[in-house]
Amino acid sequence: MNISVGDTIPVWEMSAVSAEKMKTMAALLRDPNPLHWDKDAVAALPMDLGRHTINQGPLGLSYIVNMLHAWAGPGTLCHLHMTFPQVVLDNDKVTAKGIVTNIQAGIAHCEVWLEHDIRGRLLEGSAKVLLTEPSAG
Amino acid sequence: MKPVPTEAAITALCGHRFPGGDILVEHWENFLLTDCTGTDLLPDGLLHPVVLFHLPIQGAGTSIAEMFALGQAESDLSIMIESYDWNLYRPMYEKTMYQVSGEIVSAERCTNPDGSLYDRIQFLFEVRHDEVMVASSEIIWHYTRNLL
Repeated sequence: MNISVGDTIPVWEMSAVSAEKMKTMAALLRDPNPLHWDKDAVAALPMDLGRHTINQGPLGLSYIVNMLHAWAGPGTLCHLHMTFPQVVLDNDKVTAKGIVTNIQAGIAHCEVWLEHDIRGRLLEGSAKVLLTEPSAG
Repeated sequence: MKPVPTEAAITALCGHRFPGGDILVEHWENFLLTDCTGTDLLPDGLLHPVVLFHLPIQGAGTSIAEMFALGQAESDLSIMIESYDWNLYRPMYEKTMYQVSGEIVSAERCTNPDGSLYDRIQFLFEVRHDEVMVASSEIIWHYTRNLL
């Protein structure tokens, strides 16, 4: 793979964030927070979000991971740091995006973010990706 | 409404260590987790990195609920995420036993520009296999007070 600083990473799109998958995720994580499965609880928040559920933070990161894997291959992620300026809601169409900001010792440093067409960046952060095949073990 | 804990009670959390322990991820769990992310299973039994949220928590012998309770969260709804930080030093696999340690590395009272209080708690988990570090996960949550 020929990669240069300034390259744009091919986007990865989640066409509609699924409330059902949030429920599965809540069970797997043993996450008691009703924001992920109770639309009435979210509607009652003083955030004017309406009747929605809020996606788990790790799922937002996973969309970034899926973009990076599709680009550089599975098992190549070394580091991911993400902040959460806005929530991701059920039925949101979100797109994982990124750009290469540096390359050092075979590792691509990237700015990455999760974008909504209207609300802009919902998550943003940085990632490091191995540009060579990872060793097993 | 729960009373706001004292600042001393929050700062005393720094250094709290979880019991630690062993954990592995079965194929079915990796399958369901990966499906939730909207992609196909990774090859050769690779774990999807999304495991770096709950595997360290559960492996360390704690739970999201206990982490909420340690910071005396007003309710499950009152937690806000500042950041998640994942390091992967080696690929991780299904059916492989990992050893996890975890602790609270910082806990402090903060004030928003509008004067409202929140407590910022930073958790750090380390994941090893055969005494070799394979991953770490840092969670920083804000325990909002009197916001809801």
